This record gives sequence, C-alpha cells and structure tokens, in this order.
Amino acid sequence: MFGTVLIANRGEIALRVARTCRELGIRTVAVHSTADRESAVVRFADESVHIGPPSAKASYLHMPSVMEAALRTGADAIHPGYGFLSEDPDFAEVCEAHGITFIGPPPHVIEKLGDKALARALMAEAGLPVLPGSVGAVTGLAEARKVADEIGYPLILKAVAGGGGRGIAVVRAGDQLTQAFRQTSAHARAVFGDDRLYVERFVEDARHIEVQVLCDRHGAAVHLGERDCSVQRRYQKLIEEAPAPNLPDTLRRQMCDAAVRGALAVGYVGAATFEFVLAPDGSFHLMEVNCRLQVEHPVTEMTTGIDLVREQLLIAAGLPLGFRQEDVTPRGWAIESRVNAEDPDQDFAPAPGLLTEFVPPGGPFVRVDSHAYPGWLVGPDYDSLLAKTVVWAPDRDQALARMDRALGEFRVEGRGLRTTIGFLRELLAHPAHRAGRHTTGFVAGMAAERAK
Amino acid sequence: MTTDLRDEAAKNGVVRRHATGVMRAAVAGPETADLAAMCHHVADLARTRPEPPSRIRLEHLGTALEIEWPSPVLETSASVSVPGVGPNAAESSSPRTDSLAANAADAAAAAGAAGAADDGLQRVCAPMIGTFYHSPEPGAPPFVAVGDSVVPGQRIGILEVMKMMSPVETQIAGIVREVLVPDGGAVEFQQPLIVVEPVGGR
Repeated sequence: MFGTVLIANRGEIALRVARTCRELGIRTVAVHSTADRESAVVRFADESVHIGPPSAKASYLHMPSVMEAALRTGADAIHPGYGFLSEDPDFAEVCEAHGITFIGPPPHVIEKLGDKALARALMAEAGLPVLPGSVGAVTGLAEARKVADEIGYPLILKAVAGGGGRGIAVVRAGDQLTQAFRQTSAHARAVFGDDRLYVERFVEDARHIEVQVLCDRHGAAVHLGERDCSVQRRYQKLIEEAPAPNLPDTLRRQMCDAAVRGALAVGYVGAATFEFVLAPDGSFHLMEVNCRLQVEHPVTEMTTGIDLVREQLLIAAGLPLGFRQEDVTPRGWAIESRVNAEDPDQDFAPAPGLLTEFVPPGGPFVRVDSHAYPGWLVGPDYDSLLAKTVVWAPDRDQALARMDRALGEFRVEGRGLRTTIGFLRELLAHPAHRAGRHTTGFVAGMAAERAK
Repeated sequence: MTTDLRDEAAKNGVVRRHATGVMRAAVAGPETADLAAMCHHVADLARTRPEPPSRIRLEHLGTALEIEWPSPVLETSASVSVPGVGPNAAESSSPRTDSLAANAADAAAAAGAAGAADDGLQRVCAPMIGTFYHSPEPGAPPFVAVGDSVVPGQRIGILEVMKMMSPVETQIAGIVREVLVPDGGAVEFQQPLIVVEPVGGR
C-alpha cells in the first residue's frame, strides 16, 4: 500500500479523497493555489504545498508544479480526483516516468477513451450499442452534413475532446447545422484545444443512466450497479440517484453487463463510468466512458457499501479486487443533490461570496461532502459546487422525503452568495420527478412551466 | 580609451544585452591590474552612457570590472545556462517535455510577485514552486548578494521546476538586505526569496 498520496485537486473531492487515505493510514499531501490557502483539505492533510496562483492553468493544471510537489514530498501515488488532470494521458504518463503511481487507468487507455470518437468505435467493436453517427470525427461541415442526411434530425454535435457536458450542441433541423457546427467547433477549440467534432443521432426524452465499474490489474472486473443522472440543466447534472427508478431488471442487467464487457475490452484498470442514453422504447446506447471518479460516486457508495476511493487506491497498489460480482448487493435507495453557489434567478450565474454561515444537515442516513465552512470564501476561480448532499433510505419515497428534510435544514449564508437549494427542492417535489418519470428534458421543461 | 575598453569587451562577448534588461560591461584581466587604474577605467566606463549605471562591481586581483545600466529594451529570456542539468537534460527534446517547459515559462512569466510587509521592506517571491539557485552554475558568484543594489528586471536567481530552468527577476529597485532561501533550497509558489529595501520615491 502507498505510504504517501498526493491529491492533485481541490474542493470537496480533495477532502473526500484525503479522508479515505487517512482511514487507510496513508499520509496525505494537498497541493493548493493561492485562492485555496485556507481550504479544508489544506487544513486536513498531513502536508500541503502551495503550487501556484488561483488560475487553474498555473496551479491545478500545471503539471510541472504538481510533479515537483509530488517528488519533493515523497509521494508514491497521485490521486487526481475529477476534472483538472484526471483524464489527461500526458499527466498519467509523466507520473509513470517519475515512478509515481497515477491513480487511474493506464495512459493509453485514457488516451483511447478520451478521444470520444475513437472510444465510440472501440466500444462498437466490443459489441456495445452506439448511436448511429459518424465513424470517428468528421473532417468538416460537408461531412457532418452528409452524416446528418443519413441519420436524420435531431442530431447532436459533440467535441471529440469534450466532457463534463461541454462542447455539445443539439441540432433539430438542417438549416441550423452550419451555425451549430461553427459555434461548437470554435467552442471546442477554445475550451479543449481540439476543434474536432463527431455527429450522433439525438434521442428525445432520453434518460441518462450510467454504470459504475471497477477493474483490478489482474483482469477482474465488476460493476456496482447503475445511477440515474437525468436531472440535468444544460448537460450539467443536478440530482443523481441509485438505483435508476422504473428500470426493468433485464435492461439493468444488459446495461451493467455491457459496461463490464467494454471495460475488459480496453484493458481498463481502476474505476470507470459508462454513460448510456436510454430511449423511451427501452433501447440504450453508450454515450461515453469516463476514466475517473465521478462527482456522483457517493450514491453508489451508499447503496453498495463500497468506498470507491478505497477501491481505487487498492487497485492502483496492485491488489486484486476483494469481492466478486455476486458479492455486490446494492441495497435501498440513495439520492445526491448538488448544492451550487449559483443564482437560479439569474440563469444560474455563479454567485460567489464569503460564507458567514454554513450548517450542513445531519441526522440519520445523511452524508454531506463539502469543503465549505463559515469564513470560507467561495471564490470565482473554480466551479460552483459547494456541497453534495447525499441521503440513503430503504426505498425511493423515503429517500425523497429525507432529501427534502435535509435540504430544508441546510443553512448557507454569505454576502453576495446564492445557492440552488430552493431550486433543488422544487425539482425533487415535482410530480414527474416524484414518479421517477423524468428525462433529461425535465429541468428545461419545468423552467418553461414556471415562466408561464 | 573608454570606448576602446568597451569595444574590447564587446569583442570578447562580455558586453551584452542581458535577458534581464540590463546592459552590462565587464572586463577581465590583465593579471597585473593596478587598483588605481581600474578605478579610473570604471569611472570612465560609467560616463560612456548618458544615464547613470545601476550597478558597479570592481574586483581587484582577480580583475573583474562590471558596470550595469538599466536597459530600455526588455528581451525575453530565452535560455538560461544552469546548474543541476545533468545528462538528463538531453531528454528534454521530447515534445512532452517541451510543452512542460513552455508551461513552466508561461507560469514563471505570469507571476512576478513582490510581497510587501509593514517593515518598509519588500520581498521578491518565487514565481512558481521549484528549487531556487543563487548563481548560474555551481561555484559561480551569486546573481545578487546582501548589499547589492538591484533594478527592476534584474535577475536574482534561477528556479528549477522539473529540470526546467526559469529566471527569477526582481520588479523592485533597491538594496538587497537579506537572502532568505539557501542555494538549492526548495520553495513554494510565492515564497519570499530575498528582502529588498526599496530606494527612491519613498
């Protein structure tokens, strides 16, 4: 097992990773930017290193600084969390070159799956259903139009290097294609440094269902069940739950089996998430594979009792999985709500500020993953995630009631600060959501209802 | 005479426009240098430009003689000859290392930090995490020492990050009062490196 792990991340996930390390007796090193000098993980970790200015590019994304900190502190492994360097094959390779274990899949696997067009092709080869669309990236607008003529509208344009819901555009008719193509490719170039796009059929009224997979270095792979992440606003997840409501068992089994098959086909090692789009007719297709811990991983932890970060660490250390597929027995219902520092009345613009009060909910079966505390400055430099509120209950109704109770007691105050707590409670209480009949269009639809 | 000296020095490649934005004239040898003559030379040299020099260094028996002027032209620091780059430096031709290097340079350029304290002294801080070197190579005289006067843009040390060397420059004019980090010391981002007592306008 590792002696020292450096956590190359910030916010709630850095703290969450550090907590499991502590439980395993592993020394932790937090790296931080100037803006995060007083952060919760810096206070919690055994050692911290100030690696750069607030700009992520010069701190959390700056490989030489992160590596320097790792070498200096004697870290034998780096946990990248999610975002930042977590899906950067170059970083994984640099770690390897310096004899430091990257906690994630091997660089060549990240590289293949990170190229969304290539991943699509590989997964189709492995027998996973992928949506009709372009074979790899399209060469330009002309080819995009040709593919569009074959598969029809609506379709979706996606950046090859995309992720996190960015670099995506839905095109409903042929006359919108030119503009959407140009905008999305310009956006992709700006955000990912890669303007290549691919084209897929867009599924209306779909659900977003993803499967958590764990693979060790010895060829074993298990799934930990699925999560429903259909409550999204502009492709950003707001509420996730496990299991997926109203999902027939046969379909669940097919999706989970497909994910395991896909993971084995590419020689995956570590924790992976296979994201599927489920159509109203019960057909499902793979969207993408994420080579990292997901934000919403706690719901899986709550239903399976398996600490995913612990498993990541054990797998990275070369240990075989300590359980077989038949040992994984999801139980009850878990829901996660992402409390963001955003203003729902200002189109969810980030609403940062200094926290004067922060009292997270407690009580039975409530877990709050957060880096916030009174006096913490929620700054403008990073994403707006403030706290993940997770609840568990024996069934969905009880879980929904518990989540509403928990969000109701959450007290967050700060000058200039706004949160999405009220909005989340509205979503949870909506009849479509209560019935578990919501699709990815749910939030936009509810906003439209409200506007009437 | 003075012009001759400068030409001579230029021929030897000693007068050069530094990446730090400093014009420097330096003369070395002959062995039998006479201190009085050197003083004359240095005074004459100092008058060869209309603006006053920012720094004069005169060594006697080793016969060094250096004058620096602030230069209006700021050149980009392209490369630094450095300590600590062993045989591994040869590896740095891979595209990956190049991009790391470019990033390192970006970050170094982005953060020229000066920390002020209420003691009236200012601190030149590390522009990034790394290993701080006082001099261009082991055994060489340091870029700055306590008592030296420094001008904005003057190099005060070198920061090594993952075998990539970046110059550290002061943005403060003044006298070096303290060097806080030992040669080869590990520093964090914005860690104070030297203490400068500002001159002028205070």
